[in-house]
Amino acid sequence: MHRVGPVCRPVVLALVAAVLALAGCGGGSAAPSSSTPISGGSLTYAIDTAPTCFDPHVSGQDITAEIDRNVFDSLVSVDAKAQFHPWLATSWEAAPDLTSYTFHLRHDVTFTDGEPFDAAAVKANFDHIVAPTTKSRYAASLLGPYAGTELLDQYTAKVDFSRPFAPFLQAASTAYLGFYSPKALTVNADKLCAGGPANVGSGPFIFKSYTKNQSVVLTRNPAYRWAPETARHDGPAYLDTLTFRILPEDSVRVGALSSGQVDVARALPPVNVPAVSKDGDLRVMRAAVPGSVYSIYLNTGLAPFDDPRVRSAVQLGINIDQDVKTVYFGQYQRAWSPMSPSTPAYDTSLEKSWPYNPKRAGELLDEAGWTGRDGQGFRTRNGSRLTVVWPAPPREYVREQRDVLAQAIQQDLAKLGVEVTHPSFAIGEYTTQAYSGKFHMLDLAWARFDPDVLRLFFDSASGPPTGQNASFLRDTDVDSWLAAGAASLDPAVRADAYGKVQHKVVDVAAVVPMYVETAIIGSSRRVRDLALDPNTWTLFHDAWLDRA
Amino acid sequence: MTPAFARRPGDASGTISAEPGTTDLAAPAGATSAAGTGREPAPPSGAVAPDAAVAPDAADGLDGPTAIGDAPAAGRGRRIVVAASRAVAIRVASALAVMLGAATVAFAALALLPGDPVSRLLGPMTTASPAVREQIREDYGFDRPLVAQYGHYLGQLARGRLGESYQLQQPVSALLRDSLWPTAQLALAALAFALLVSTAIAVSTAGRRPWLRAAVSLGEFTAVSVPPFWLGILLLTLLSFQFQIFPVAGADGILALVLPALTLALPIIGVLSQVLREGLERALREPFVVTARARGLSQTAVRARHALRHAALPLVTLTGWLTGNLLGGAVPVESVFGRPGVGSLVLAAVQDGDMPVVMAVVVLSALVFVVLSTVVDLVYVVVDPRLRTAAGVV
Repeated sequence: MHRVGPVCRPVVLALVAAVLALAGCGGGSAAPSSSTPISGGSLTYAIDTAPTCFDPHVSGQDITAEIDRNVFDSLVSVDAKAQFHPWLATSWEAAPDLTSYTFHLRHDVTFTDGEPFDAAAVKANFDHIVAPTTKSRYAASLLGPYAGTELLDQYTAKVDFSRPFAPFLQAASTAYLGFYSPKALTVNADKLCAGGPANVGSGPFIFKSYTKNQSVVLTRNPAYRWAPETARHDGPAYLDTLTFRILPEDSVRVGALSSGQVDVARALPPVNVPAVSKDGDLRVMRAAVPGSVYSIYLNTGLAPFDDPRVRSAVQLGINIDQDVKTVYFGQYQRAWSPMSPSTPAYDTSLEKSWPYNPKRAGELLDEAGWTGRDGQGFRTRNGSRLTVVWPAPPREYVREQRDVLAQAIQQDLAKLGVEVTHPSFAIGEYTTQAYSGKFHMLDLAWARFDPDVLRLFFDSASGPPTGQNASFLRDTDVDSWLAAGAASLDPAVRADAYGKVQHKVVDVAAVVPMYVETAIIGSSRRVRDLALDPNTWTLFHDAWLDRA
Repeated sequence: MTPAFARRPGDASGTISAEPGTTDLAAPAGATSAAGTGREPAPPSGAVAPDAAVAPDAADGLDGPTAIGDAPAAGRGRRIVVAASRAVAIRVASALAVMLGAATVAFAALALLPGDPVSRLLGPMTTASPAVREQIREDYGFDRPLVAQYGHYLGQLARGRLGESYQLQQPVSALLRDSLWPTAQLALAALAFALLVSTAIAVSTAGRRPWLRAAVSLGEFTAVSVPPFWLGILLLTLLSFQFQIFPVAGADGILALVLPALTLALPIIGVLSQVLREGLERALREPFVVTARARGLSQTAVRARHALRHAALPLVTLTGWLTGNLLGGAVPVESVFGRPGVGSLVLAAVQDGDMPVVMAVVVLSALVFVVLSTVVDLVYVVVDPRLRTAAGVV
């Protein structure tokens, strides 16, 4: 490493590998700083993707929800322990059979266009989400069996469902079910996706402007005084301006952070984490993303995976610990359950219960009759090779070096005598073929802070294209447990039901959980009280900039 | 190309009468092959006509029409008008044909992709209900036969309607309007930079010491072969992260334009300066150089004032290649630097299966090519009277 320039942030040019790695210079201590928040200043947050659509009722993108969280408020908020707290609703009651929820709303909330927030606004927003013309890609599914909203009085709304729906409160806490001013929904319905001043909410920030593929600028809402109970302070945000700068290139985002051009950067690549951690001016925040972990789903309906022994062999024959550690430089933990440890009802008893065991995997394949070997070392049965198809999604959908991880998995399984082909497809063909069950393996992850996410992947009724049951699992036990979990708000009942589901799908090897996606966010030490919500998305309402 | 095209009559503006107008318009081999690498549709064959607008002696050429106008026969003027308007009509018709071709190819390439267009549009991570899928299918006409979709698309295009983006739910015309200027800024800045630097390099190195030439050549080949994506990151690391001269974060203003324009320009400089230097060296071997030197002009003056004009001619051949490079190169550059523009717009559109945006950009690119080559040709006809003779107008 050689030092250039007066700034204590030397940069290593790793020209040989044609990769640029940034290294901090270590040392340096945080300057003495104030402990009471200071109002003012502007913060720039480097993000890795541009939202395709800013309407949270339409888009299911994480980045849309993360940006929109600052603009739109929700009925309730949820803490890391899955306890719900008042926000726009001061209190609520669920019907005993969970087919309806009655919310008592705050009386003092106004949208930034001056419109009042009331029960009619709740109805207008929920009805907008489920209207087919909205073409909702995600929010409508969060409302599940939504049957309508009744206005009991001006500030009391009753939301009805056609069947018991326990996941609703969690859904209601997300920005996807956030509230627009009803006027914005009627006057500017066609401008909501584009982003800009038309997106009027009641949140701590106002959507000022969007320059396509460059930046999103939000300004403080000075009238804000209805922060959720989970926030550190009531009242307006401390920051005058909050800018999201879109920098898709990892090294550019890291460089902008280390050189102080941005204050916070999202999605730090694991390879850069040690250097950023060592930089005295920077800090790394990390949190396990809740929901369904990055997993490989094995198609239980397609030979040779219709034989549970072959599926188990694949599950035991991948050296997950080593593969994940190598590819992600020890920054991500391997997964034992299809659900992330940060999700409510996560079952810890699955941990270390199915370690790498190539010997047992080989025995299972022998038992299944795959005893022969061909010229290339792959197993055969009755002269045909043991080969499975795992399609690679198009490049633009590949994140987190999953293509490299896939190579490691291919090699592990080749050692076992299983040939895994990993052909690339255009997205249309990929989804069309995957939905019709033509592939043996599919890799997916899905962030959500609720165990109901398991229903999306393992319920018989959650088949593609609407659901994501990529294992094509048809298991009446699993279905009944999922229904029981969705019909109860009792944590003990849910833990039991969802624990059984997690055990069962791992036991029958419908899924090979790989690693726990981890949000890694770098920030300048000047940035104080920046929080992450349980979804691991940033919350800027409490954030402030230290002058020191 | 007729030999008459290759002659440049106005060149001998008094001082260099000894110069035979033998400048060869055939591009150097390297340039020709480079022209083939443009990612955009190739311009019509007429596009490589000499660009009189860049000729330093355009004023001389403009004297031409006056001379013809002096001719007594009035009928001749009419004939010229008729012939000229016929030439324009042919040009417009061929321009429309090129755009129709581009639109058709773009439509076919996207429509024939395997898989359900609704699934392609929604991507793999969605819980869209069957009702939503049907709504999308109906709204965007995916339920109609391909031929009907194609007819509808062309009909809309003919009326100047580019449709609405599938993904962004905004009119494509509004998206293009917002993206055009940032890309034009980037392309023009890169072009200016490339012309300036490559001219300086060529003038200072042509026919000079072999070791200097070799060193510069090495630099040029490096510039051509480095992927722009990586070059951008390299420049950023050095000039933005290390020495904090050019910001990447607050991407407004002229300072933020420097690095992207440089990234886009460097590979172009690599080619242009080679072409220019070769042209210069060829021109310097011409007898008129000796004459000019004999009249007491300095070596540099000869290069800059006379030889450079000849050397600049092959550049005209590169107009298509240059345009393709500026437009195509904008895609990775805008992505690395997080700039708004047509490049980042089309990149996202291709990834998201946003057909109306992709097709609009393809048609727009074809339009840019057609307009550029037409302007080049038309201006040449106006400027160079002998071209009309060659074309049988007079």
